[in-house]
Amino acid sequence: MKETRREFLIKSGCALTMTALATQMGHFGMMSAMAQKVDDETKVSAVPSDYRALVCIFLAGGNDGNNTVIPIHNDASVSNYQTYFNARNTQGLALAQGTLLPISVPRMGNLSYGLHPSFGTVAGGINPGIHPLWADGKMAIVTNVGTLVAPMTKQQYQNGSVQKPFQLYSHSDQVSQFQGGRSDTQSYTGWGGRISDLRTSPDNPGGLLPMITSIAGSQLFTAGQTTLPLAIANAGTGLNNVLNPAGYNTTAASQARLSAFNDLRGMDLDSQVVQAASHITNQAMTANAALQTFQEVTVTFPNTNIGNQLKQIARLIRKRTDLSVNRQIFFAQIGGFDTHNNQLAAHVTLLGQLSQAMRAFYDEMTVQGLGDKVTQFTMSDFNRTFNPASSGAIVGSDHAWGNHNFVVGGGVTASDFYGINTTNGTPFPTMTFNGPDDADSGTGARGRWIPTTSVEQFAATLSRWYGLPDANLPAVFPKITNFANTNLGFMQPPA
Amino acid sequence: MIGRKSCLLLKFLSAGLAVFLLFFPVLAQAEDDPNPDSPTPILLSETDSTRALTELPTTKTRRGNQLRFPNRAFSLDSQVTLYITNVELLKDEGANAFRVYVEDSKGRKYRFPVLALQSVKGFGGVYALTIKLRDEIGFWEQPGEDGDVLVNVTWRGLTSNRVKLGLGKTGGDIKDDAGAAPTPISALPFKNTDLPTSEYVGYRWSGDRIRFLEQATFGPTTALDNRIRRIGLRTWLAEQLEMPYPSGAYPYPDLPLKPTDTALGCPTGSPATCIRDHYTMYPLQTWFYKEALYGDAQLRHRVAWALSQIWVVSGLETQQASWMFAYHQQLSKGAFGNWRQLMTDVTLNPAMGNYLDMIRSTRTNPNENYPREVLQLFNVGLFMLNQDGTLQLDGQGNPIETYSQNDVNNFTKVFTGWTTCEVTGAQCPNRTQGAPNFKDPMIIINANNHDITAKTLLNYPGVTNQTIAACTGCTGTTTINYANNSLNQALDNIYNHPNVAPFVSKLLIQHLVTSDPSPAFVGRVAAVFNANRTNPTQMKEVVRAILLDPEARGNIKTDPTYGKLREPVQLMTNLYRQLGVTSADGASLSDGNINRFPSGLAQNTFNAPTVFNYYSPDYIIPGTSLLGPEFAIFNTGTSIGRANLGNSLVYGVANVALPDTPNGTRLYLAELQAIAAADTTSNQLLDVLNQRMMHGRMSSQMRGRILTAVNAVASTNPLARAQAAVYLVFTSSQYQVQR
Repeated sequence: MKETRREFLIKSGCALTMTALATQMGHFGMMSAMAQKVDDETKVSAVPSDYRALVCIFLAGGNDGNNTVIPIHNDASVSNYQTYFNARNTQGLALAQGTLLPISVPRMGNLSYGLHPSFGTVAGGINPGIHPLWADGKMAIVTNVGTLVAPMTKQQYQNGSVQKPFQLYSHSDQVSQFQGGRSDTQSYTGWGGRISDLRTSPDNPGGLLPMITSIAGSQLFTAGQTTLPLAIANAGTGLNNVLNPAGYNTTAASQARLSAFNDLRGMDLDSQVVQAASHITNQAMTANAALQTFQEVTVTFPNTNIGNQLKQIARLIRKRTDLSVNRQIFFAQIGGFDTHNNQLAAHVTLLGQLSQAMRAFYDEMTVQGLGDKVTQFTMSDFNRTFNPASSGAIVGSDHAWGNHNFVVGGGVTASDFYGINTTNGTPFPTMTFNGPDDADSGTGARGRWIPTTSVEQFAATLSRWYGLPDANLPAVFPKITNFANTNLGFMQPPA
Repeated sequence: MIGRKSCLLLKFLSAGLAVFLLFFPVLAQAEDDPNPDSPTPILLSETDSTRALTELPTTKTRRGNQLRFPNRAFSLDSQVTLYITNVELLKDEGANAFRVYVEDSKGRKYRFPVLALQSVKGFGGVYALTIKLRDEIGFWEQPGEDGDVLVNVTWRGLTSNRVKLGLGKTGGDIKDDAGAAPTPISALPFKNTDLPTSEYVGYRWSGDRIRFLEQATFGPTTALDNRIRRIGLRTWLAEQLEMPYPSGAYPYPDLPLKPTDTALGCPTGSPATCIRDHYTMYPLQTWFYKEALYGDAQLRHRVAWALSQIWVVSGLETQQASWMFAYHQQLSKGAFGNWRQLMTDVTLNPAMGNYLDMIRSTRTNPNENYPREVLQLFNVGLFMLNQDGTLQLDGQGNPIETYSQNDVNNFTKVFTGWTTCEVTGAQCPNRTQGAPNFKDPMIIINANNHDITAKTLLNYPGVTNQTIAACTGCTGTTTINYANNSLNQALDNIYNHPNVAPFVSKLLIQHLVTSDPSPAFVGRVAAVFNANRTNPTQMKEVVRAILLDPEARGNIKTDPTYGKLREPVQLMTNLYRQLGVTSADGASLSDGNINRFPSGLAQNTFNAPTVFNYYSPDYIIPGTSLLGPEFAIFNTGTSIGRANLGNSLVYGVANVALPDTPNGTRLYLAELQAIAAADTTSNQLLDVLNQRMMHGRMSSQMRGRILTAVNAVASTNPLARAQAAVYLVFTSSQYQVQR
């Protein structure tokens, strides 16, 4: 059933006077959409005629991209399997050549690269994983992406002539830079949130939910200046219960209590801290009114945390017409990638869960007729050192830099490597310690690839497909002008 | 201070005769508490408007001419002097005790830097506060030069009135606060009024007693409130600082070390609870909550809990409860001990060694995990700090990094080679055949695993041990001695970094008192930290300084930025302690199996998701410029989750379910039920909740709204009335925020 905006306002405003609601929701992107305030700069754009969504999957802790995308070939002109094997085998971190799932890469002269074996069929799995999507042309790999203030060579890294991202190799800061969309300073907002600030009114007029939803708690990526994201539990809880206050019934006494519960949030707002808490709770109650019914997804999802996160997103997408939203951004997260030790076993589990969940989500989108309208992409803190940490059964790896990220969906141009070329003339780094792409130098160099593609270039390509006008790019990515190419070509042109 | 004799006496008393103390408080050598209330600062305005006074009257104007500059406006980035009065400054208290907040006509809030504070000659009690008209937070772009903004000054958790200031021009859309009136200089008495200090033992400020107990314990109880009313804060603190820990009733369980293979640790035929009691955090969690709900050594428990959220080791990667108990013992020792000692104890503790990989870091396969976090998260932080915790900036206005990857590489070399204590003899008293020794400090067994090359460590003014020379040609015992010396030198190098005092002080203030403390508060505590650097009980002085600081104390706090969102653990324990908590049947005590409640709100006790804890100390509350760490786990989902926690605690009960929940847990409501029954107007019920939960500062609006809802419940059901009242207070943002 589709609610009218008026019905919704009546429901959600049940106990709040509209003025109280408006006062408390001064920063709520949804409120501005409901009030249909249109920013001057976006006044001209029309409401989109199609639906599109970006789904960010964050691999928290720093995924070891060096063990996720691996050369299988033995071509001597670029780093090959032997290069990889020699660097990682002694300590026990090298994956066997025969276990890798091959992909043929046009950009690399159709040389064969391999995905981690967990991206295919896995023990206990419920689908074929995401590896087959390469052959279907639905998966792009953006190589050697990382935090950058401006393009940087090894020499510039060493002599300090180009500003480095601050606190390279620190989890919290690198996460903030990936999610914040800039690497020169601390961010208070994320690039998803800033898109939402700009696009909520023009794209989702009358939307009953914020443009952004996180299934993984409060995340910088989702925070805007005026946007507060929705954050809800995964599919272990039905949409009708994720934001529903428990313990109320229809008796007069219970309704009186509910009414007081709501009214109290309009009081004592002189404290900014109280006001902030009330503001967030109000948003929850407003969204709750819009989520009282939902339809279950069709495809079977793996019963893992990431599986249930993506399943919850799929439920929301299925409800998009009811919610009057044309553009949505989602955030999911899978943790445990900080594999300083015991990496081999952990990686098998984590990448297996990731692949199974992404594939189920892809299939569900296809069933919903949105295969080319919803794009999943991964981000992670950083890559890990090519040189392993510790050795033997407990072998792991340390914090590094440039990494490979995945983009999955029917909106992908073609399955290939994308990104700016490294010193070797290809987008895949030269995997040599103290080599031209290693930020480390000297005999102790551990293999931390200097990114050739910035977070901004990666994100701008996705944002453009989503419908962010080019004119808005600098507002969302303040340092984008430091990079010549803002379209890496892995997404089809916007509608 | 407490003498040695009375200290012994206290130990004896608290072992079983705490009640005795209640009636003979004089034995504890009472210390007087001064009036905790600071005066409320007044921001001066022009004579007949609420426009900020930005220039002092001359002798001529003072005699009667009006002082008015109704069209005076200032450009962004200019310096402006504001004038404040009605403040009493401590020695050395200056500009960094004040913060200036600005709101523009769009409702956006900014913070402008305070550059200087000077007393004004000829106007006793008036201070000139020089500010720069530029936002220093950066959540919003700089405010527009398009009209009046409202300005207020905060000091010690109190706010001044708000005055208008023209930015670019005067006028515009912004309205004065309701009831705002001019605060002209001509109308004020220019003298310091000395507030009376307490002449008698005890602490009569009832709102501040509750606030103090919220900061120093897991929640105020009526008994503790009464006790502090009688003996005062300082005496109670002195008692707490000497109290045995854990409390006599809840000793650390003596869990044996078990094999890593659970099939060997809990072989067939073991009790059904074997895995639970050895290979999960259940024993630690239930022990922790019993001590929190009922224990006497509240302050130490609270500080140890704060430390466990700074020096994070997560049960998610710690296999055995015995390992985590051994770790918690080090933290609880450090809570009232010396920070440098704590650094050693934690560094060599195997639970930390396992969590951050030092236990497996060797010369040939080094691991950077612990070396990085011991700098970034535990001691120094990323950027150079002033002693008041504010950022030092370079010539371009950018923060200055404290260390580089190269420093991390060098510390990594120092920390190589340690492993669990597995040699025969007295060195490893807890060594257990077939089980790794996670009780004794780590040692180096294979000298060849330590990196004996030279190291270059942190550099800073007056640096200690910036370099450690190589140990040329060393092997065996020589290497091991060198390694141990190097470790101490490296930890000294970190401890003596000037960041440590403000970094640690601010973290502890955030955990105990307020999320966004003034720099002056941080600076006062950091000074105590530094003055006690070699004191074996340094942290006692630090904790005392935090809790007795004028920004922590005071019967009323009006600063809109003051306070902190209660974290889920304390949200729950405060309610339980404020109203009372029993077993499910009401006949005995809770079994402490209540982690399920905070766990559902993103705070799974002792199972932090990562070394970054449940939330970051740097988290900014969305839409504001305020630090609010706990808001990192407060979102739409968990905000309703908190309301539902209220529903569970107030209307529900944690029932007995064997074997894990032998007693169950129930909020004690009988007292409130009786009060509701005796007074059908419900006024007494609200009075009690106001005093116990809201420092007596519930607004009349809030009180009226709750009263209406409570009285919508039939007076014949006083329990339901009490429940409705508690639920509404508990779930209100006004209570969720501790201020």
